[in-house]
Formats: sequence, C-alpha cells, structure tokens
Amino acid sequence: MLRKLFYALFILSLLLGTSLVSIGQDDGMMEFEITQEMIDASPYLQSVLSRLDEVYDTSEFAKDPPYRIALAAQGTSNAWSALFDAHAYWYVEELGEDVVSELLYGDAQASADVQVPQVEDLLAQEPDALILVPMGAAALSAPVERAMMQGVPVVLCASAVETDNFVTEVGTNLFNIGAMLAQWLIEAVGEDGDFVMMTGIPGVTTSVIMEEGALAVFDSYGIELLDNQPGMWSPAEGKKIMETWLAQHGDAIDGIWTGGAQQAQGIISAYEDAEMAIPPIAGGEQQNGFLRSALEHGFDFLAWMYPNAMITLCLDAAVQILQGEPTPRFIDFINDMPEARPFTHAEAEDYYEPSWSDDVHGPITMSDEALAELGFLIEESG
Amino acid sequence: MSVAKPYESAKSLSGWRLRLFIANYGVYIALLALLLAATVLTPRLYDVNTIAVVMRQATQLGIVAIGQTMILLVAGLDLSIGGIFIMTSIVVADVTNGRDELVIPAILIALALGALVGLGNGLLVTKRRVPPFVATLGMLVLVKGATQAYTKGVPGGFVPDILGIVNQSWYVISIPLLLWLGLNAFFIFVLRRTAYGRKVYAVGSNTEAARLSGISVDTIRISVYVLGSCLAVVSGVVLTGYVGYVDRFIGTGLELDSIAAAIVGGTAFVGGRGGLLGTIAGVLLIQILGTMAVLMGLDIQVQFIIKGLVILGAVTLYSLANVEE
Repeated sequence: MLRKLFYALFILSLLLGTSLVSIGQDDGMMEFEITQEMIDASPYLQSVLSRLDEVYDTSEFAKDPPYRIALAAQGTSNAWSALFDAHAYWYVEELGEDVVSELLYGDAQASADVQVPQVEDLLAQEPDALILVPMGAAALSAPVERAMMQGVPVVLCASAVETDNFVTEVGTNLFNIGAMLAQWLIEAVGEDGDFVMMTGIPGVTTSVIMEEGALAVFDSYGIELLDNQPGMWSPAEGKKIMETWLAQHGDAIDGIWTGGAQQAQGIISAYEDAEMAIPPIAGGEQQNGFLRSALEHGFDFLAWMYPNAMITLCLDAAVQILQGEPTPRFIDFINDMPEARPFTHAEAEDYYEPSWSDDVHGPITMSDEALAELGFLIEESG
Repeated sequence: MSVAKPYESAKSLSGWRLRLFIANYGVYIALLALLLAATVLTPRLYDVNTIAVVMRQATQLGIVAIGQTMILLVAGLDLSIGGIFIMTSIVVADVTNGRDELVIPAILIALALGALVGLGNGLLVTKRRVPPFVATLGMLVLVKGATQAYTKGVPGGFVPDILGIVNQSWYVISIPLLLWLGLNAFFIFVLRRTAYGRKVYAVGSNTEAARLSGISVDTIRISVYVLGSCLAVVSGVVLTGYVGYVDRFIGTGLELDSIAAAIVGGTAFVGGRGGLLGTIAGVLLIQILGTMAVLMGLDIQVQFIIKGLVILGAVTLYSLANVEE
C-alpha cells in the first residue's frame, strides 16, 4: 500500500515537474510552459512524457544476488566521465560484494563507433543487467534491442536512445533544461535582447535535445538569434567562435546560451582578451573552473547540473530491476539528488570549492580522499 | 611518325602555360577571389578586429603547417601531430602547474618529447619502410594512449598566466603572428637558399636519384619528421596559451587541416613540389573561409561541405595542371 502511494506521489511530482518548470532565483520564481506544439515537434519529449506514468514490471528479470552488472560508459574522455567512473566503482564497493559481485566495464572513449561493438562484447559475457551511457541515440538503439531480446535488462544512464525497448532511463528532461536556460536568459535580458547560441557537438543526443528545447522557447517569443554555432564542448572551439562573434557584433550581444561549461570557459576567455564586459550566460554548470571565472568577473549566469554521481542511481535501478521490483520508466535525478538543482550567480560562492581543480563537475558524493587519489584536489605548491 | 602541325604546337604550348600558371598561382588567385567575394558577402571581414581574429587563429594552423609542408615535400605525411598538441598541453600544465618561472623547462621537455615522436616516425618510415600514413597513425594512437594513461583521462594542472601573452595584440599584430611569420621566413630561406633545402626537394622529387647523387635520404627524411614534430610542439604551446586551459581535445582536426593547407597551397602529395609561400596562402584560405562561414551564420554541416569542396577543387585543379605530364 505504502509502495503504491510512493509511486503515485513520485509520478505526480514528475508530471508537475515536467509540464511546469520553476527555478528558484533570488528575485523570485520563473516559469515556462511546455506547449502541445513543442511536444508535437519533439520525439524525445513525447518519449519522456509517455514514460512518466509508466512502471516496468521487472518480475521476469528477478534473480538472487550477487549480480554481475555491465557498465558501457562514456569512458576516458573528460573529467565528467572520469568522476562518473570513479563514482561507479566507489558505489559498487558501498553496495558490497553480496549485492554486486562484479562490474564489467566498457570504455567507449566518447565514441558511438567504439561503443557499439563494445556493448556486444559486454553482452557476450552474459551480465545480469546492462547500464548504458549511450554515445549516440540512433547507433545504440539496435544494441539495446538485442540486449533486451537476450533477456538482459537495460538501464539508460545520462542519455537516450531512439527505441523505447529498455527498462528505464536515469537522467533529466534535457528538453526542459534547454528551454529553462533560454527562458532565464530572456527574462534576464529582455525580449528585445540580441542573443547568440553555442550548442555542443552536432548530432550528440544531449546537445541536440537541449538545443531543441532552447529554440522552442526562443521561437515562442519570436526571437531571431544573431547566430547559432557548435562549440563542440571544447574551450578552444568555444573561444574561436566567440572571438568571431565579438568581432562581428561587438557589444551588441546581450546574452549567450551555451550547451556546456567547458565551452563557456572559451567564451569567457574571448571576452577577457577583448576586455569587454561579459553579458549574462545561460548554461554554466557546477564546474569549478567556470565558477572560478564567474566569481572573478562577476557576470550573471544560470547553471544547471548533470551530476556524474547519477551513476549511483543507475546502479540502484539495476539492482531494483534484478530484485524484481516494479521500476519507473523515467527516473529524474533531481528527485533523488535535490542538491543537483539549477542555480544562479547569486549562489556561485556556495558551489565553488577552492580545493577542487578547475575540471571537477559537482556535485560530488565521494570523500575528499577519493578525489585526491584521482588528482582532482589542488596541491599546495611550494 | 607524326609531326605536330604549327597551330597544334602553339595550342599545346598555351595549354602548358595555363597549367603552369595554375600550378604556380592557383592558390593566390583563389585567395584573391575569396577576399573579393568577402567584400560583398561579409564586409565585416575587413574590420580590424576581425582581421586580428583571423590572423591569431591562423597562426595555430600556420605554424604546424610549416612542418607538414616540409614532410610532404619528402613524400611523407604526419598524422601524429594531433597527439603532440595534447601532449604539449599536458606537459606545460603539469610541469608548471601555473608557475610562470617553469614555462621554459616545460617547453624544453615538450620539445624533447616531440622530437622523440618525430624520430620514431622517421625511423619507422625510413628503416622499417612503414608507409607514412600507417606509421604516423600508429604513433598518434600511441601518443594519445600514453597521455591518457599518464593523466588517467583527466588532464590536470594549470596553464601559466604568462602564456596568455599569445592573446595580446596590437591592431592585427600579435606574438603568435610574428612567430609564424618569423618561422616562415626562416624555413623559406632554408628551403630555397641552403643545401639542406635543396636536398629536401631532391629526396621528394626522386629518391633514387637523390641517393645516387650522395644524399643521405634517410637522414633528410628523419630530420624533417623531427622538425615537423617540434613545430607541432611550438603550435601546441601557442594553442595552450590561447585556450588557457588543459583540454584533452585541444587541436583536434589541425593535423588534417595542416595537410589540407599544404595541398591547397600547391604542395604535391607525392613530394618534391611546392613550398611555404603557397602553404601560407592555403592556411589563410582555410581560415578566412571558416571565419566567413561563421560571419554568414552558416550551419556547421555547410561549413564542412565548403571546406571539402575547396580541398577537392584544389586537388583537381593541380592534377589538371600537372606540368610534368
């Protein structure tokens, strides 16, 4: 009875959270509405919304512990994924060998081409469940289908695929995130402002969906962007694009939407070189380098969080499935990790951690000792 | 036996002259045409700030393209420079950890490692007869793997503030631009006025003839690979200062862009023909195209298509203009 009540409340909160997004700000609350038109135009949004009220009957996967779980991760590509992996190994130890006896690991090196055969290799080892961080929605759809056909339940972690044939997805509504960032920017600058948009890597699901959400909001206000270019989630590319924009538009740029904090550092660097005031930036993250720059320069921003620690929820979901418990088909990390909420410049000091190196993405659930072992703590130099 | 009629000889001569003209001046004409098109399509390109941006960004590609051109001149190729950029960035940040006084030692260490990579490429190509594409691709994977193993996928450390000097400019003049022009002047002199330069061309034109005339072909080839790697380190230092951050993907694509710049600039893929003046024009052509595409707000996909068409167009023109035939 209690469980049913929990799920009812859980689903209700997801429905409310998805249809009406609110961000706590020092100057009050900000909201935007997902319209039917936006839903019709976005297959991703349709998929997420349709799964909000679904619960997967996992009794067919039930078995006794301990479990062998396969993790097809993004792999050695950046600090975010390094901390993601570190959280995975740390949490498996926390769960204990009597729950998870083995973590089979695949390093995709952030490439769908590498990941597709790697998933096949992992499945050949007959794991009890597969946790997949998909590097491409289309490319990874077939391997996901094959895993499910083989009787291996699939937990999508941090990104989506094009098929609906998996057990659950742990992440957040990326369309909402993109839209929320655009909405904040418009409210911070005004509808008459001139905006530029710097997306991530073209074709990568996370970037594409966030862009969809942002463009839906810009379109709803009839705003024509000055330009929209990919910053490739790279400080170097971000800086090159921003330099060109500054040469072209100068101080006519009133606000910047960015799909990530790494390229935002390139944006900030371009403004530093040009010795110009930095306009509001929507799209920072709890990345220590971004926050350090933001505190140094004092510009307005809205940051969102995509916690690498969400792998702990993915592991929990995998264990829950293997225990045969009904599992929600969409698990928004914000409900389980309330600290992973968006925040603005007003709270920058609360989130900046001087002892962390620039590339640490928070929030972190591991100890400082574990972070130090990974080389993410700044050593005192002589 | 057939004898060419006088008007046929004249026609053939004028065709030969046209081909020679294209081979010698094609890239400059293309650059001029692009600059003229920009007056209509993107007049903003002629703003001092935009020119400064173009020149600053061109230097990163330009410095590495010097080495790539010299390697192409000996009928080689270097894909490993992509790994050298990343290695340089990591070494500079790791050794200095943000301390200005350690910049010189860090650069020297990076140069030594870069030279080692170049030496490895050269030895594989000359002593083991491994095709340059395979040898340098293998070296690229090796260097990237080694840097990943060293950093565990997470480059650490800080870029020293002093390297931010590469971002300072006086109108369009910046330190990286002066460095690029200085290196070009030096290597143009080397290639045109020294015995070493003549040997580079000789090895690329006809290896056997060069060997028979007493040139140490292997030494020339190895030295060019070492030079190319060291120039990639210099470019990597500039790029690291430009970004001001250790980025695992720093310089991605520059290895292919440097080959494109040299080829567009008229350096033959088979070696022995071309030079650095053409490469300068090729670098500017690619950089200006990229900047114009952003100024015009073109999608990234369209930008790739345009870049591809320019490279294919250049290669087609040069093949038509192949004066040897």
